[in-house]
Amino acid sequence: MKIYVDAGTTWTKILKIDNNEKKYKVIPTKDLKKIDIKPLKVTGHSIFKSDNYENEVVALANGARKYLEDNFIVLDLGSRDIKWVKYQNKKFQDMDWNSSCASATGATVEMLLKFYNVDVSELIFTKEKYAITCGIFGLEKIMDDVSNGLEPKIAISKFIHGIAYNAYIFTKSPEKICLSGGFCENRCFIECLEQYCKVLSLGRFVLVDGLAFSQG
Amino acid sequence: MTKDIIAFWGYPERSLIKKTKDEYPNAKWVDLDIDINAPDLKLLPENYCVIIKNIYNNALFLKDKIIKILAPIGKDKCDSAYFASEILKEAGFCVIQTIFEDICPDIKEIKVPVSKSSMPLRKKIELITKNIVEQKDYSYLKPVKPRFGFWGVPPNNLSLLDLFPDETEVFGWCRAVEAGYPGDYSLETFVEKNLPTIFFTQAFCSKTQLAKYLANKYDGLFIDVDVCPNSSIKAKIEAFLKLR
Repeated sequence: MKIYVDAGTTWTKILKIDNNEKKYKVIPTKDLKKIDIKPLKVTGHSIFKSDNYENEVVALANGARKYLEDNFIVLDLGSRDIKWVKYQNKKFQDMDWNSSCASATGATVEMLLKFYNVDVSELIFTKEKYAITCGIFGLEKIMDDVSNGLEPKIAISKFIHGIAYNAYIFTKSPEKICLSGGFCENRCFIECLEQYCKVLSLGRFVLVDGLAFSQG
Repeated sequence: MTKDIIAFWGYPERSLIKKTKDEYPNAKWVDLDIDINAPDLKLLPENYCVIIKNIYNNALFLKDKIIKILAPIGKDKCDSAYFASEILKEAGFCVIQTIFEDICPDIKEIKVPVSKSSMPLRKKIELITKNIVEQKDYSYLKPVKPRFGFWGVPPNNLSLLDLFPDETEVFGWCRAVEAGYPGDYSLETFVEKNLPTIFFTQAFCSKTQLAKYLANKYDGLFIDVDVCPNSSIKAKIEAFLKLR
């Protein structure tokens, strides 16, 4: 059995391949140490960088190769970072990776949902967005608006719209984005991003697929 | 305390280096551009070129031992260095300003054996900067077919260079220094057209303008780093090297 692991800050994605049958699994990263597995290749923030470690951007590019080769942008929006890759004429052309500023990514949204006791399915697209160049200012705006009577789910939705807009600008305003990561399961985020460009959701296992790809 | 250091930054004009060597044959030469772990005196704004910060911190740390500072202030260095030279004069240093703007007659015919050789990139950059004073002959080094290009100045933190393979050719200011024309714009902006190249500058340096422009023009990767490269910068370089 071949095992590939993408250990993100909050969630770990696991791919097991047994007799060409692929099985995907997501577990909280804090539980990763509790399970006994020997992955062939690993990536992600929360794992020791050993010999079988693959750079996250490389894993993303390998996992989304068929879309990249059609000249699409692939964007991965995770718990704490945002990264994207662009190919042109089947050749790697551009990329960026912000791993420092966690304030506008998945972990913040998860914390907000818990803090205000809102389920992700309650979030709805709002035309308005917060300008969240800094997530701390974004949080301040949410708290101000909620204390002035705005429903938390609407305030968080405005925050998510801000993240979607930032993601669009960060990727240099493309016509189409192939989206990877946990935000693929956030309908509100996708609807927000669709205000700016076409969106193709690839799911949250692109990086582990990329690890398997690089192993042949 | 005995003064026994000739300090400099950038690439002082060669005849001045020779004259100073003749005048002070036993002096130690210290490149003030390089981080020597001197205490940070916080004399400059927080968001400022770390190389210029090094110049101030190193000079003031070594003040009692510095005989004089050879201070390039022309196109071969930058305006910030010109201001530093004037301010350090006021602080009591003997500062000799120099301008080294010789034009390279033919950028394709120049001899840059270190830049074109196969050895760790960090070593190449160290040899080039040391050779400003040492002036050793490296023509015996064999050129290698490059896989990648590194364009720019010597980084404040050299660990960035360890990511590159040995077959990385040096361009930009470092190459211009090796050729002996540190102020030649054509030479500084020359890169091999189809060679995947990383365009590096220190953050807050005016060369960021050039690096960004050239990265766009030659389809390379632009990176700017302040004090040390963070994991995101290192990963970007690693990805560029693997995916290109």
